[in-house]
Amino acid sequence: MRGRGGPPMGRGMMRPNFRPGPPFRAFIPHIPFDLVQCESTFPRAKSAPEEKPFTEALLKRNVDLTPSAPEQASVLALVSKIQTILDNLVVTPGAFEAAQIEEVRQVGSFKKGTMMTGHNVADIVVLLKTLPTKEAVAALGSKVQEELKLLEPIEGKVLTMLTNDSGFEMSSAEASVKCLITTIPPNLKKLDPELHLDGKIMQSHLAAIRHSRWFEENAQHSSIKVLIRLLKDLRNRFEGLQPLTPWIIELLSHFAVVNHPSRQPLAINGAFRRSLQLLSAGLFLPGSVGIADPCEQGTVRVHVVMTLEQQDQVCFTAQTLLRVLSHGGFKQILGLEGNASIATEMSVWEGVVVTPSDKAYEKIEKKEDEEEMEEDADESVRRKTCSVKQYQNIQSICHPETQEDADES
Amino acid sequence: MAHFVYPVPANAQPGTAYSAQPAYVAATPAQAAYGTATPRPGQAYESYPAAHATTQYAYTTRTQVAVTPAVSYDQPKAYYQPAPAATAYTAAEAHYQTAKPVFTTGAAGFTAQRPASQPKPPAVQVTTASQSYAYSAASTPAVNTYTSAYNNPTTTQSSISDIVPGYDAAVYSAASSYYQQQQAAKAIGTWAAKKPGTQPFKAKPKGPPKTPQLHYCDVCKISCAGPQTYREHLEGQKHKKKEAAMKGAATPVVRGGHNQLRCELCDVTCTGADAYAAHIRGAKHQKVVKLHTKLGKPIPSTDPVLVTTTGNSTVSVPKATSSTISAVGAGNKTVAKSTTSSVNIVKKVVATPKITFVGGTTLRTTGAKTEEVKAAPEPAAAAKPAEPMQTSSDDLKDDEHLNILGEKDVAPVGHEYIEEVRNEQGKTVSFNCKLCECKFNDPNAKEMHLKGRRHRLQYKKKVDPNLQVEVKPSIRARKVQEDKLRRQSQKEDFWRRREQEDRWRDEMRMEEEMYWEQHRRYDMEYMHRGPMGMMGPRGPFGAGPGPMIRKPESSDDRHVNAKHAAIYPTEVELQAVQTIVSACERALKQTSDVLADSDGPKPEEKKEIKKEEATTDAKQTEKVKEEPANTNRVLKGVMRVGVLAKGLLLHGDLNVNLVVLCSEKPTRTLLERMADSLPKQLATVTEDKYEVKRCVEEAAIIVTAEKEPNPSCTITLTSPVMREANTTEGETVSVKDPPDVLDRQKCLAALAALRHAKWFQARATGLPSCVIVIRILRDLCQRVPTWSHLSQWSMELLVEKCVSSGGPNMSPGDALRRIFECISSGIILPGGPGLYDPCEKDPTNALASLTNQMREDLTASAQHALRLVAFRQIHKVLAMDPLPPPRFPRQRFNNPRKRRHTGSGEGTEEGAEKKEKKEGEEATTEAAATTK
Repeated sequence: MRGRGGPPMGRGMMRPNFRPGPPFRAFIPHIPFDLVQCESTFPRAKSAPEEKPFTEALLKRNVDLTPSAPEQASVLALVSKIQTILDNLVVTPGAFEAAQIEEVRQVGSFKKGTMMTGHNVADIVVLLKTLPTKEAVAALGSKVQEELKLLEPIEGKVLTMLTNDSGFEMSSAEASVKCLITTIPPNLKKLDPELHLDGKIMQSHLAAIRHSRWFEENAQHSSIKVLIRLLKDLRNRFEGLQPLTPWIIELLSHFAVVNHPSRQPLAINGAFRRSLQLLSAGLFLPGSVGIADPCEQGTVRVHVVMTLEQQDQVCFTAQTLLRVLSHGGFKQILGLEGNASIATEMSVWEGVVVTPSDKAYEKIEKKEDEEEMEEDADESVRRKTCSVKQYQNIQSICHPETQEDADES
Repeated sequence: MAHFVYPVPANAQPGTAYSAQPAYVAATPAQAAYGTATPRPGQAYESYPAAHATTQYAYTTRTQVAVTPAVSYDQPKAYYQPAPAATAYTAAEAHYQTAKPVFTTGAAGFTAQRPASQPKPPAVQVTTASQSYAYSAASTPAVNTYTSAYNNPTTTQSSISDIVPGYDAAVYSAASSYYQQQQAAKAIGTWAAKKPGTQPFKAKPKGPPKTPQLHYCDVCKISCAGPQTYREHLEGQKHKKKEAAMKGAATPVVRGGHNQLRCELCDVTCTGADAYAAHIRGAKHQKVVKLHTKLGKPIPSTDPVLVTTTGNSTVSVPKATSSTISAVGAGNKTVAKSTTSSVNIVKKVVATPKITFVGGTTLRTTGAKTEEVKAAPEPAAAAKPAEPMQTSSDDLKDDEHLNILGEKDVAPVGHEYIEEVRNEQGKTVSFNCKLCECKFNDPNAKEMHLKGRRHRLQYKKKVDPNLQVEVKPSIRARKVQEDKLRRQSQKEDFWRRREQEDRWRDEMRMEEEMYWEQHRRYDMEYMHRGPMGMMGPRGPFGAGPGPMIRKPESSDDRHVNAKHAAIYPTEVELQAVQTIVSACERALKQTSDVLADSDGPKPEEKKEIKKEEATTDAKQTEKVKEEPANTNRVLKGVMRVGVLAKGLLLHGDLNVNLVVLCSEKPTRTLLERMADSLPKQLATVTEDKYEVKRCVEEAAIIVTAEKEPNPSCTITLTSPVMREANTTEGETVSVKDPPDVLDRQKCLAALAALRHAKWFQARATGLPSCVIVIRILRDLCQRVPTWSHLSQWSMELLVEKCVSSGGPNMSPGDALRRIFECISSGIILPGGPGLYDPCEKDPTNALASLTNQMREDLTASAQHALRLVAFRQIHKVLAMDPLPPPRFPRQRFNNPRKRRHTGSGEGTEEGAEKKEKKEGEEATTEAAATTK
């Protein structure tokens, strides 16, 4: 059972397995089918369908999703104030004793320009030189709040400060800024879960800095940003796509728009469809090459953060949506009409019944993943019994007596 | 070779000082001759790097015209040398002067400014320049490395000519100070006289000595200016060295490992053809020649003597001696003094480290380098030039002569970066290489420089990085390079051998398999007609075993292979099918004969029937029965189509298709005649019982065997004419169509089937994993109702496209997954691109027959199958029991060291195990089939 299958959670894919089992073989990822990459092999045999309404709907949806100018302005105002305050703390280390700030960086959707309306939250990562004790974080939060009150005597009053696991959040009526606390990498080893913030969260904040930097350098094309917004919206509305993290969505959007033989960015309708096609073709299934995380050392496929079950879920949801889309259901997919039930319930499009895909993943396989050496009889029996509905008829091999040669066409 | 680093400020001075000296003036003609005539070839050469071949030839011929009476023109490696070389021989200024006009006209094309400068008395320039140099020269300390050779006991007192071997002038320049003392009255007769500035003389232009007395040193072959210098020469180290060398051994000392050219006249050994040419051209050589002619000594050939280290392959190339020895007397006694001394001086004065372009060094390096390129000259090449020397007219031979040392001639590069520095008169006085930031005043030096390694390196660095520059020819570097080459060739050899072994092994395996397959399955067939293309040329497992063995076999692959083995037809089935097909084919052939006999007017002649495999689709095992020049045979041939032709038979496939091509549109009458005749013919070719059924609406005859397992063969009639009717519909239909023509659609379908079979042979058969996956999918299409809508042809197309676009050497498991991925991503959905049919004239969608609901269902099914494959449930897709993971002996993993040890054995072990298993499975399925 080698050569495919995503490594289980929490295991680096390149790490050799030294447990007894078949000898370690290099994992050769499968490159999933991508229609855009082999367009030449599949010349269009019929004229391309009319895409204009679809494109217009996409653009309209994007406009709906983009925060309005006042919203953006209010977030921007709050962010710049907090940034100024934090910057001052960086410049004058003596002014604040509880912690020393190394660096302050904006990250996340606000920084990347992919903020969604109704979600007026900006993120700032505060890199501490000192260890991020919970007290220090709270003190920093209060300090910022105080400074804000000094800066804006009237508005500052309505600001609230809440500490949480990752730092603190300053919110006003119409905007809020999450200050994500992390520390310099050498300190990460010294973290004590009792005293300090969680190390995993600290690391994710460091990764967020890398992500926003990568994004700034590579994904400035507006098609990518529009697609990110649309996919985030899709994820919010369809439960099956929940496992997709923002970072995966960003990478997928970038891939769908830019990764093209001619290097010409795809139009938004093509890119949107392509991202569903890629998901449907199992880009994020076990064994697939997926997308390598550009911000991590070595080759880390981004989709391994999802469990196998989640990978299956994302894949079959996308597959159902793709079928709905190709039968003309783009309005429902974009949320302009109807609801999210199309992904989970049977629906009819122009006389075509679209049955939602069902999950294929089975828990039992987990055992096999763990390289169970001895095949126990129990397991094989169990596996035989659980067959998926659609394939029940496959179970018996039928041998037709005669066979019609395919000479049609 | 001489440096001319000085700007020409001295030129401003009038040449009055000079003109005052009559003796010097007397020398002018000679100088003028040299100054004007000699440089010309150099000039010509300057332009030749641009257009190497043409100019060169042009020049050669022209020069020949000019010098024909005197010079035989085969001097190797010296397009530009011949003239000076010849003159060196003749040593006749008079000759030169006569020759000059000819030269000028010849060279006019090359340099426009030169003729302009000609009429000027060169003396003026010479003087002014020399003055300025002289001072600096005086300040230079003597470097006496070579001087000892100049001491010679044998004294010929009669001459004061100072002849230094031309080329080595630069080398000997070290001895400059020694010379300077003697050079009072010397004029420059060198080749370099064109750049008069190089005259290193003190401003003591007292004129030449009045007496034609010669102080000649026989050992060193030089003449000294006066008795004193002569004495000094005799005491010098150079002379002593030479003398010692002469006493010790007659042969000159040859430095390590190189082949050298020697000028016997001057007793100078040159390291390369270039160097030799320079020497011949050089002042020293000229002087020696002059001196010798004056002394009446025999002048040996100017052709180089090839000196090799071993000394035994010395080849002397005699050159035609010029006929103008008569002109000797005309020579001026005041023989020019070598320019060599100035070289050093100039260098010293400039003192910038960049300008290391000392003539001697440069020449030496160049010579050494060119020589390095080919260390071992072929004796043949060296010997070759010997014969044509006398005739001298063959240009082509010149080329060969160039390579007396077998040197590789390096094309000069970067000529455009050479800047010419001119003085007020517009005369080129020096050259400046902008790339290397160095200057030289000698066109020859420039030439050398252009070919030189340092210049080429600079050129490579600054202009053209693609230029090849030879490795520095130091001994160590050479060794390293040789080592490298040897290692490389060893490595190549190793890989080649390895590859051969691999290939051989692959072939063996393949052959083995093929043989085995054929033997097992087509034994009968084999006996009768040789192998048939039933399963395609690559054996039943699609890919050859070679690439599949190297890739680790994944679980998917194992499942696919196991499934494939299970659906592969049994031997009984294959044999049954084979029997009926061959029986039908033979019976059809005879039917065709019978029909032809009954129809044809000349039945006797047509008994001869040629069976031949059509060359175009030999693989298709197509039997074309054809009679030469026979037009009225109705049944042209029979061909296999469909699964039979493609080798896609599955377990349980017992109905195969043949297509009979007719010369005309097949009619119902024809069909009936055939159907009547066929049973008789079948009876003649085989003892088995067959039932023949006509099926007019299908345009076919169905032959069914009465023997178990009752295979049947559908014989469809069609004709290429049916397709043509498509294009010219109106008239053809009305004119030709018989009333009872068979159904057109069926006939067209049969034609399409023929095309598909051809396409399959061309595209799919050779593709690794393609056939295997098509079989698997065929099975799927038969098993699952959803998939049954997908036509065989569009499925084949889809698989071929997927596999061919998926990169080389896809394993069967990967290929299957890719097909599911392809369908999952909506290829066949209504919005998708569809499947372009390559076998139709017009753009056709092979999927056109599918309804949207079918497409939807197919896609959904494929999507689910994809996820099943990804989540290790491929056995569900294939409808088989999951295979247990391959077992490995536990022992191996407890000891990592041991594992490494057994690493090589692993593969074969595993493979053997697998094979066993597969065979076992096959056996069971076969058993199951037979019991059924």
